[in-house]
Amino acid sequence: MISALSNHHLFGILLTVGLFYCGTWLRNRYQKSWINPLLISVFSIVLILQLVGISYDTYMKGAGIIHDFLGPVTVVLALPLYRQRMLLLKYKYAIMGGIISGVFASLVSVFVLARVFHLDELLTRSLLPHSVTTPIGIALTNSIGGVEGITVVSIILTGLFGAMVGAGLLRVMRITHPVARGLSLGTASHAIGTSKALELGETEGAVSSLAMGVAAITTVLAVAVMQLAGW
Amino acid sequence: MKIFRQLAIILLINLAGELLSEGLNLPLPGSIVGMLILLILLLTGMVKERHIAETADFFLDKMPFFFIPAGVSVMVAYTFIEGHLAAVVGTIVISTFSVMAVSALVTQLIIKRKRHD
Repeated sequence: MISALSNHHLFGILLTVGLFYCGTWLRNRYQKSWINPLLISVFSIVLILQLVGISYDTYMKGAGIIHDFLGPVTVVLALPLYRQRMLLLKYKYAIMGGIISGVFASLVSVFVLARVFHLDELLTRSLLPHSVTTPIGIALTNSIGGVEGITVVSIILTGLFGAMVGAGLLRVMRITHPVARGLSLGTASHAIGTSKALELGETEGAVSSLAMGVAAITTVLAVAVMQLAGW
Repeated sequence: MKIFRQLAIILLINLAGELLSEGLNLPLPGSIVGMLILLILLLTGMVKERHIAETADFFLDKMPFFFIPAGVSVMVAYTFIEGHLAAVVGTIVISTFSVMAVSALVTQLIIKRKRHD
């Protein structure tokens, strides 16, 4: 009975749509920024599949169709970048300097910490895109031999953590300029950081959304250079 | 009608990016090549915002939904994390802290220096 249901391709689609609806409903009901519909959906689907004994491949018979839309979802990220282009021109040195140094800090810190904590190659590669916006992070992890699932969860945790401590850290470090505050949140913790930046102010939000896109492209280019250099 | 025309444009650019990435053996994933193509088309005015806006904004607004299946693959990857959970979380937390601190400091430094010039 259960296998007849789970083997139907509609099963994976319905499970995904239904639980994302529940996650979104919870967020709207309680209005808390740490209630993350994506994280809730992922973990409740994993839990359900494990409890009922359904494999990932069976789930993907239907959910694979949703997964296939990651391509167009990534392509349209060009639109917010295009919309914020004037902001980039206005602060080009500060924004490019801040983002390049942030991306450098991200890549170096992951390599160093992976060495310190004795993480293997696979985990290191999966964690490398943790600050990158999710669709680009997924594309990046697939192209460098990481594991999608580890990358997605690490990206969500990065976003939640950044949004939680970001404002406090910036205050302690006496970062007062709205461009610096927004850039920091967007570069380190992508879309979730950007929703926090929007709470701080309009400029913070706009810079954060710009920084998230530019930082993602910068990371991809930096990794491409590393690969050409023989990494 | 408009939605389908917009979706067709986006999918066409996505496909062009994939083919270009594969054909030229680029070290960039096809979807990202597609994003760069769309950015160039928008900047040069060959594609106008209204040619893609409604469909693009739908995807942008509902984006997290499309990440769920990739996230669920953590269930087949859990064996790799087992025993390293604290190290993985530690790496994420410390690295996020450093990115935030470094990028904020550098940005503020450049802005302040510009002002003194």
